[in-house]
Amino acid sequence: METRVTTIVNKPEPMLLPEYCKGCGRCIDSCTKDCIALGTEINPLTGLVPVVLDLERCNHCGLCIDACPEPFGMRPEGEEVAFELMDPAHLGGPRPFDAPTPIPQPDVTVPLPERTTMVMKGTYAAAVGAVLAGCRHVYGYPITPSTEGAELMAKVQPALDGVFVQAVSEVATVNMMYGAGGAGKRCMTFTSSPGFSLMLEGVSYLIGAEVPAVFVNIMRGGPGLGNIAPEQSDIKLACRGLGHGNTQAIVLAPATPQEMLDCSMLAFELAFKYRNPVVILGDGYLGQMTGKVHLPDHMVVPGIPEWAVWGDQSHRGNLICSIELSEAGLEAHNQALDAKYARMSAAEQRADLHRCDDAEVVLVACNTPAQAAKGAVKELRAKGVKAGLFRPITLWPFPIDALRTVLPNARRVVVVEASSGQLEDELRLALSHADLPTPPLSHVRRQGGVLPSVSEIVDHVLTLPNSSEREVR
Amino acid sequence: MPSSVFYRQFERHDHAAGLHAHATTYCPGCGHGLAQKYLAEAIDELGVKDRTVLVSPVGCSVFSYYYFDVGNTQAAHGRAPAVGLGHKTANPDSIVICYQGDGDLASIGLAEIISTAQMGIPITVIFANNAIYGMTGGQMAPTTLNGQRTTTTPTGRNLFAGQPLKVAEMIAGLDGPVFVERVALYDNKHRTHARRSIKKALEMQVNGVGFAFIEVLAECPTHLKLSPEDAELWVRDNMEPVFPLGVLKDTSDGPHYPTMPTPSFDPELMLKVLGTTTENPERFATGFPTHLDPDDVSLKLAGAGGDGAQTAAMLITRAAIAEGFDSTYIPSYGPESRGGTSYADVHLAAKEVLSPAAPHPHVLVAFNAPSLAKFGPTVRPDGVILYDSSVITELPDTIAAGVRVVAVPFTGVAKELGSAVVKNIVALGALQGVTQMFPKDTFLAAIRASLSGHRAMLALDMQAFERGASLGADAAATL
Repeated sequence: METRVTTIVNKPEPMLLPEYCKGCGRCIDSCTKDCIALGTEINPLTGLVPVVLDLERCNHCGLCIDACPEPFGMRPEGEEVAFELMDPAHLGGPRPFDAPTPIPQPDVTVPLPERTTMVMKGTYAAAVGAVLAGCRHVYGYPITPSTEGAELMAKVQPALDGVFVQAVSEVATVNMMYGAGGAGKRCMTFTSSPGFSLMLEGVSYLIGAEVPAVFVNIMRGGPGLGNIAPEQSDIKLACRGLGHGNTQAIVLAPATPQEMLDCSMLAFELAFKYRNPVVILGDGYLGQMTGKVHLPDHMVVPGIPEWAVWGDQSHRGNLICSIELSEAGLEAHNQALDAKYARMSAAEQRADLHRCDDAEVVLVACNTPAQAAKGAVKELRAKGVKAGLFRPITLWPFPIDALRTVLPNARRVVVVEASSGQLEDELRLALSHADLPTPPLSHVRRQGGVLPSVSEIVDHVLTLPNSSEREVR
Repeated sequence: MPSSVFYRQFERHDHAAGLHAHATTYCPGCGHGLAQKYLAEAIDELGVKDRTVLVSPVGCSVFSYYYFDVGNTQAAHGRAPAVGLGHKTANPDSIVICYQGDGDLASIGLAEIISTAQMGIPITVIFANNAIYGMTGGQMAPTTLNGQRTTTTPTGRNLFAGQPLKVAEMIAGLDGPVFVERVALYDNKHRTHARRSIKKALEMQVNGVGFAFIEVLAECPTHLKLSPEDAELWVRDNMEPVFPLGVLKDTSDGPHYPTMPTPSFDPELMLKVLGTTTENPERFATGFPTHLDPDDVSLKLAGAGGDGAQTAAMLITRAAIAEGFDSTYIPSYGPESRGGTSYADVHLAAKEVLSPAAPHPHVLVAFNAPSLAKFGPTVRPDGVILYDSSVITELPDTIAAGVRVVAVPFTGVAKELGSAVVKNIVALGALQGVTQMFPKDTFLAAIRASLSGHRAMLALDMQAFERGASLGADAAATL
């Protein structure tokens, strides 16, 4: 028969600093010796009524300590007794912890050998770009016409011991990115317009907590379920409506499968440079279009940023959080975000200028419509019209500095887009912010899944006054 | 002394440091304080303070990161399990704890908790159920009892407002979790048990066993409008009968969650996985098919889903790119996976494809009558139409004069060869035979390169292509 030995743990007597007691009295019932009673006197420092201890009969059972909901409330006598009471006005500021300062583990760029030109669709190219950029964490929810990107990742990531998780929804997806991005990892998702709408709550949190993440939104026809055909329906959302609050993110608009890859790599670089999400907007055509893609000459092995909540000793002091309760604190946070947005605006404008040097008719277009516009430039030039294409690659920040160089020659600006003026609104806002006069502006717009065609653009330009003949200003 | 997992001082916003920075934001007698104290002790005792990532929710425990000296993340309302999953997959060595209340977990965050629990990933969820919304001021929670008065059920919760949600039972009904228990805090015995259970649940993560879930019946004296003592009795007498205590699931002696590997950044492996090669494809063409267009040829392949129009389009694109030209193709299909419409627009350009759509193609390949009727009239006057004469018996009268129309029995030939599946390859052969876009070898190389995963089909594909090409060439000769 087994012998039972009862070990008596000699627990110390309880002690309580009245200043740390809220007087809830949960300890009173826990005491079998009736040592504790509700107090009767208001503590002048706290305004609360702490319990009173009479420890004559105390048997050191420790149950009152276990019953106290306050970490610094009822606790064993004899250890670290004296807590200096501090003036509330002097509290706040950095949390006191003894974790060592994290040592940044920087990203490493690894050269790659020359590879044969590949043939792949736009969503695949974005996925390949992400893999090259060191993304090994992909979260997603299937939605046409972006799903192939996720499908490729579901094959590629496990083969690289990376992570692909199909989430229960886009809402869960973006929050998984908040977790993995907060841990300092390069993570991404593929989605399309309705899914992107669902993610916006999380995007606001990512921006507020300064967590990097990359979104590839293959835009489709809206509003509502709309259809699965190409539209540029989310330019407004990405540039002006990333969830609630003061939010802004770099928005990239590739035009070819090759650029899908290039922009995907760039997106991760920018996301971590600024600790901010980056949105890649493609249209349904671009996502589905198969074309040639050349791999870059390098890949990235990402490190662990010093701010990451990674889950080890040196990162223990970190916090990923978008709460700032004090008005002054939140205003300061927003001003810091504004300063960051200003840095992005100054440094990250990107545009492609095609035959703009002497262009009198400047077409403005992005994504697949920009390819049609390029075709229109060729036809218009053949007809003697000095046409050019100004193609923003960053939709936010709008590349106004580059546009400024084109405007002096431009007699007409024609915005070509597959939406009801969302790109034109960005152009007009950028002109206004830059105090530039709006040039004579017209547009070729299609919606519902129809892209502007070369002939529509050419016909429109040819009907414009003074565009088909030279005129001295 | 208090658990070392608690900060020595609680940072709060600067205009309200609380009880001199050593008291929580919880009301007197609140169950959150106890659950969190036991959690801190468990972290301490298991020696995982440095590895712990605590996900704070939205609700009364929103400021958990004020107290726990661990890696901290604050999540949006209800999303803690998704955020926790992100952390755990980012660093499988981290110990991820989601601390959530009933509004957060059982209302807005149901999808996240159910799906994360079902995935079984080793994270620990502590769920404080106090039958009411605390932070927003005493509204009905999913766990509010029948008849219980709250500010949004002023006459008591009735059936119209639904019935209390038994979350632990729901989680225990899933296959994913290894451990689910409901505990209470209302007396010494239950408190002692609760602290053990919380430690046990955390230990399961430390040992890599799996997902563990502890529901804690907690007191909310403030919104129950009871003294802390009466709140304890209320939990015992009113909550416990509805939410019985005990272990609801324990499969912790079963298989552990699989070990999550460390991602690879080996360039060679990556290039292999991405399917890259260094082989430069052989070129067979002497130049761009200028006899079709000086610099940009467009094609449309149209049929029903399953006809293989997309594969044929992809092969043309690959062939053109292998010859050093630019090429694109875009699919367009109906909502059906099979049997709906399936179109593909292809461009090949000497320099750059400028507009990937093919509204007026040089060449139309039609696999069925509706496709021919729809797109036949869009073909350029100098263009070519190739159609499957096995299934199309009548030509529409809307085709422009000058368009060369070639009939090849794609399906018939394919069936003759043994499989209707290769009718698209017959069509591709016919396209080569009729248009002489590129030499046969260009397409054969593209077929070999693209369909290498289906070696068994390769011989049949080659035969199908050759038959199509010869039929196409014959037909072209008679035009």
